[in-house]
Order: sequence, then structure tokens, then C-alpha cells
Amino acid sequence: MSLRLLYATLTGLVLAGIVHIAAVMAIPRLAEADAVSRTQASESLDHPQPIYTLSTGEVPSPPEAWLPIPDPAVAVGVCAYDLSDGPMRVSSRTSALPLSLAAHGRHGAFYAVTDQAAVRGALDLVIMTRAQFDQALADDDENEPSRDVRIVAPDVRGFVVARVIAGLPSQRPGANEAVRAISCTTDAPADETGRK
Amino acid sequence: MKAAFTGSTGAAAAPDTAVRKPRDGGLARRAARLLRRGGRPVLVLYTLALGGGLGLVSADWATRGGYPFGGVRIGAWIAWPRAGATNADPYTRAVNARRGEIPLAVGEGLLLTAAEDDAGRTLDATCTYAVAGAVPPARAWTLTVAGRGARDPDRPLMREGFTSTEILRRPDGRFEIVLAPTAEPGNWLPAPRAQGPMRLALRLYDTPAAASIASIDRGSVPTITRRDCAP
Repeated sequence: MSLRLLYATLTGLVLAGIVHIAAVMAIPRLAEADAVSRTQASESLDHPQPIYTLSTGEVPSPPEAWLPIPDPAVAVGVCAYDLSDGPMRVSSRTSALPLSLAAHGRHGAFYAVTDQAAVRGALDLVIMTRAQFDQALADDDENEPSRDVRIVAPDVRGFVVARVIAGLPSQRPGANEAVRAISCTTDAPADETGRK
Repeated sequence: MKAAFTGSTGAAAAPDTAVRKPRDGGLARRAARLLRRGGRPVLVLYTLALGGGLGLVSADWATRGGYPFGGVRIGAWIAWPRAGATNADPYTRAVNARRGEIPLAVGEGLLLTAAEDDAGRTLDATCTYAVAGAVPPARAWTLTVAGRGARDPDRPLMREGFTSTEILRRPDGRFEIVLAPTAEPGNWLPAPRAQGPMRLALRLYDTPAAASIASIDRGSVPTITRRDCAP
């Protein structure tokens, strides 16, 4: 009899292992408070949704900051994208403050670039699906190749994070402004072909 | 969020989450008698309850707080090079999803955390620490301190960290930050709360070290030395 109990316990433990693995794998899919779900509200905006605005002077950081432990010297903004509407173009201008852009999908960051890769003070990313990438390649003018940095996204939905570092407290308003100044627009498919 | 950033404790304990907790002897004997009398349906129910309950509780425990795996220990610090990567382990992804965290991508920077000093003692807010030395090559870095849980509203908003630009250095380029509850000369970093554990976070931005974590050794990260503690 106790052998049966032992057998049942062992089966239960094996089952527990399976449930454990299944639950851990399912959490990112089911989570409602994760970054991808939280940023979807900003999809229609043309500029990044400020996620963490630096405190300037006596003004503390606004409570919209939901990053668990934010860096108090880095302004963070996100642009959510849904590539079913067309590729997303992120345009930023470099300034004296270090800037980085990272593209995240459901499974984590798949691309990151800093302003050191900027060409003539401008950093342009175009996030697109594989099909949109092939289309853009086919539409490319051979004599005038596109200067965009094209990135193929693994998922249709995701977000681009912009981080601007303020090394000194006096640079904080500038860092907040630099995040706001980035533009995130959806390229209409026809628009993409007409671009040089 | 029950425990913010409990990376180091989770790292040690998470792999054996499936281990059963020892139960009270009398209770176990009574339960065993019940199972023997009940026959097969009770046994099946017991198996399912054990599997489901233990599986879910252990999954919740492993993904609560900090990252359970993926850390690389360098001196008192733990580096998290893969926290934001696409090939991060499922636990890291689950932790990020539950906390709403946007981790630094590999090309963007590297996060190092420390919850203990060089001697292995937990960082305590009542103690004075010297965080000194150098930092791996990076375009910019920030060193911040945080307590566990939400911030105390009664405490005045003071400095939470230093950036590589604003820090005062010695002539040889090295620095010393004094993390203390009361004001200190030099780079004073006030303790984030009156008491309880603290955590340090060192974020390296635009660093070549993120791609090759092995290039960082103990000598290139700041040391954390405890000086004295308030009684």
C-alpha cells in the first residue's frame, strides 16, 4: 500500500516538474503587466511615450515610471509598433547626450544601436517584417540605395526603447527633451517605395 | 512586487525548486492513512493536487523578484549580460514579463548588481561602505543604490546615484564613493532608507564588455568594503 503512495508521490513530483516548466514558459505569453502589453497604448503616438522622465530641480520623476528600478540619470521613452500597419520608422537626431535605441519583441531585444552609428547626425531605423523587407529590397533604386538601417523584426508587435543619458543634473531637461524629440511613424507601403 | 531585485538569493536557490518541503510527522501519518483508506480516486486526486500545486507555487517562486539564472559573478558584483537578449533563458523572460522590466540590450549596455560587500555580508543601510576602484570601459556609467520595496515618502528625495561625468576622481582616475547614512566628504551616496538591505546597481552604457563578459575581472569592478555600522 505504501508503495502505491510512493508511486503516487513520485508521479506527482514529475507532474509538478511539468507544470513548473509549462507555467514558466507561459508567463511571458499571459503576462498583462509586461512591457509589450503596457506600451501598446502608445502605438498611435508619433513620439515616444515617456516611460521614465528625469527629475529636474525640485520636480520629482512623474509616477508614470513603471520600470522596477529605473536609472535616475537616464530618460527612457518607448514607441510601440504593430507592423501589420506597415514598417515603423524611428528617426532621431544626435545631440551631445549619449542616445541608444533598442528594438524589443516578445522574446527580448533583437537589435540595439547607439548614436555612434549615426550618419551625419541622424539615426534612422526602419523596423519591418520579412515580407516588408523583401518588398523594400525589390523596390530599391539601384542608383540611389536607401540609407535606412532596416531591421527585420521577429514579431509583428513590439516596441523600440530610446534611452538618453544625462551625465549631469543640468542635462536632465535636455535628456527629457531629446527623448520627446524622437519621431516614430508608420511608413505607408507606397511611401516606402517612393523614398530615396 | 514582493521583493525587488533579489537576484543573488534567487540564483542560489532556484535550480532545486522541485524539492518537496519536509512535512510535519503527525500530519503526514494521518494523510497517509487517509490515502490508504480512500483507494484509487483519492490517490489520483493527491497526485494531481501535488503536481499542480507544487508546480505552480515553485514557478511563482522562481520568477518572483530577481533573475534566478544568467548572472556572472565578478567579485561582489553579478553581471547580467543576457537579461535583455532574445536568447535569454525562460526564467529571465518570465521575470521581465512579470515586472514590466525593459532590460538593457547587449549592444546598449550591461547591468551589474551587488547585494553583498566583498566579504559576503548583505549590504545594510545602517552601515558605511566604501565603493572604490575603477569601472570596466564604457562610454558612460551610473552607480545607483536602492532599498527593497517602495520608497519611504517621509524621507527627503536625495541623491540616488552617481554618473561617470559627475563623480569626483583621484589624480590616478580611480574614485571612491562613500555609501553612508550620514553625510561624508567626497562622493557621498546617502543610504536610501533608515534600515534594511540595500542593493547597488552599476549600469555600463555602450560598453564592449557586454559582448564579452569574460573580459571583466575582479580588478576592473569597484570593491565594496564595509567600514563601520551604527549600533
